[in-house]
Amino acid sequence: MIKIENIVKKIAKKSVINKLSLDIPKGIIFGLLGPNGAGKTTLIRMLCGILKSDSGTIEINDKPVEEAKHIFGYVSQSFGQYEELSVWENIVFYAQMYGVTDTTRLNTLLNRYNLEQYRDTPAGELSGGYKRRLALVCALAHNPLVLFLDEPTAGIDPVTRKLLWDDFYALSMEGKTLFVTTHYMEEAERCHQLAFLAKGEIVAEGTPATIKDSLNGVRLFSITLSYTPLAMQYLSDIEGIVLINQFGNELRIMIKPDCDIETIQKILEDKLQVKSKLKQSTLDLEDVFIALTQDKAL
Amino acid sequence: MMWAIIKKEFLQLRRDPRLIALILVMPLLLLVLFGLALKLEPENMKMAYFDEDCSFFTMLIDTELGNDGYFNLYEVESLESLKEEIRAGRAKAGLHIKSDFSALLVENRQPHITFYVDGTMPSLTTAMKYNSKTVTSENITSQMYFLDANESNVVIAKTPFIMDTEILFNPEEKETWFFLPGVIGVLIMQIALILTGISVVREKEKNTLEQLFVTSISKMTFVIGKIVPYIIITMFDFYLILGVGWYLFELPFPDSQTALFLLAFIYISVMIALGFLISLISQTQQQAMFIAIFIIVPSILLSGFIFPLEAIPEYIRPISYIIPFTYFVEIIRGLLIKHTLLSDLFYDYLALVSFVIVFVSLSVVIFKKKL
Repeated sequence: MIKIENIVKKIAKKSVINKLSLDIPKGIIFGLLGPNGAGKTTLIRMLCGILKSDSGTIEINDKPVEEAKHIFGYVSQSFGQYEELSVWENIVFYAQMYGVTDTTRLNTLLNRYNLEQYRDTPAGELSGGYKRRLALVCALAHNPLVLFLDEPTAGIDPVTRKLLWDDFYALSMEGKTLFVTTHYMEEAERCHQLAFLAKGEIVAEGTPATIKDSLNGVRLFSITLSYTPLAMQYLSDIEGIVLINQFGNELRIMIKPDCDIETIQKILEDKLQVKSKLKQSTLDLEDVFIALTQDKAL
Repeated sequence: MMWAIIKKEFLQLRRDPRLIALILVMPLLLLVLFGLALKLEPENMKMAYFDEDCSFFTMLIDTELGNDGYFNLYEVESLESLKEEIRAGRAKAGLHIKSDFSALLVENRQPHITFYVDGTMPSLTTAMKYNSKTVTSENITSQMYFLDANESNVVIAKTPFIMDTEILFNPEEKETWFFLPGVIGVLIMQIALILTGISVVREKEKNTLEQLFVTSISKMTFVIGKIVPYIIITMFDFYLILGVGWYLFELPFPDSQTALFLLAFIYISVMIALGFLISLISQTQQQAMFIAIFIIVPSILLSGFIFPLEAIPEYIRPISYIIPFTYFVEIIRGLLIKHTLLSDLFYDYLALVSFVIVFVSLSVVIFKKKL
């Protein structure tokens, strides 16, 4: 449904997207993860035709972006609706931008996203959650096949986020393809397929499960230990450690296959008087994400 | 704490180099420009003269008038064309000397000559009337004498002839008639430039532009859709202001309402197109407002709206001619006050249309490049 081949984008002579290719099938929720500045927004803006790539091709439903505008919708990171216009006026306006004049579908959308009560309220007066719903309705007004969502739940409370994700699934069930950028791991886990973007390149791609397995032989160990800067100091120089990550009272250490865990255990016992033993744990998406997108090469 | 806010404001301003340029460079530029350009006393006022007598005496008058550089005389063939020259704006004044001037003069029957003056700009009218008085001064009259071989020359009379002054177009020299038509243009310029100037940049700032360009709307549809409402609003405003002018200040009506409508439509199109251009080159609403103001101020001062164009030095006058408002002032005064023939205003209309073409073309180029 979305086919990206070898696209390159430079902004102010700095490479933002570097020979990126992706092939996203119809009807799935595709998540694009990446640290800040990785190029997520640039990529989604190119997919929507707001920016042009320097080279390479983008096709949506086998058509170049300019010719496919009527088959996709876009919800930008920041609220892009008219604050002075009412909810209903915004919806009708954006529908008309796609030549949709029949209001039956728009009324259905209004009800589906629980916006009926705010029909005549100026969009600027809505809460953050309802603003997102309105943006979504505006993007769905012309019943698109593809939906681009740039951090659709940033700054949204967990309840609304869940409601929105329930809806994303429903939309995907209807056969729509959703392209979502996000920072949230919990949200990434919900996607059918993922790609990690770092410095303008895809560093991992697949389902959440396959991505977790993508760190060939990398193992994760954890130990109960309160935060101490000394742990970082003693462990950071050890060859083979990929990631040291503190979670509350738990220290998680990711190591390469050839790294000896006993050496680490010994350092912890000798230098930090740790009594307990390092236990092997399963990698979660966040570990993989940090490992793949940090500067340290794997 | 207050210092922290003051410092922060300065820091913010410093990070907006365009705004700094607008705040510092533009006032300096304008000051130098106005310092050089603004003079109340004009030179080279075009004066058409129709001398039916063409005698030694009338030559004295004609030469004296053109002598000190205030008036620049040129000859016309009839009284009608003399008046037409003034109506068309090619001359600001005129002088008519009848064929019996010398005959009456030598018989000491005090012939009359008529000085015609454009009354549209009352301050200029007064100045022209004052300057024309030199022809009745002793400089001239003392040279109007009879030659007598045996005695000293005998001056014909202390006041050998009388100069009548006829004020054309605004005989009562109403300042309101002079200012009001221009004021309408200034108000329209303000409304159109500021309304349109912030229109696109506002959508940029509020992120709605990005959302809009994702839709299947074409850029041309966007531009037209964006411009038309402002044209309608400003047209309405034009007639509202003009209506008040007619009702409250008894402004004269034009001979042709169509010509007036055409002027309103073309002038408003120029201003909206210019506003749109400002909106495209500005990054913030603040910048757009500043650019608009820096266009409005020189437009008011260098267009002939307050100071006569003839008072602006020749080397600066080209600037006056690249100001659309200059042509608006010329046309609207022609239509309302002088009832100038449309054929004489053709080039002014054409100039305004050219501005529309230039501004729209520039907008299209920038629009394609930037958005």
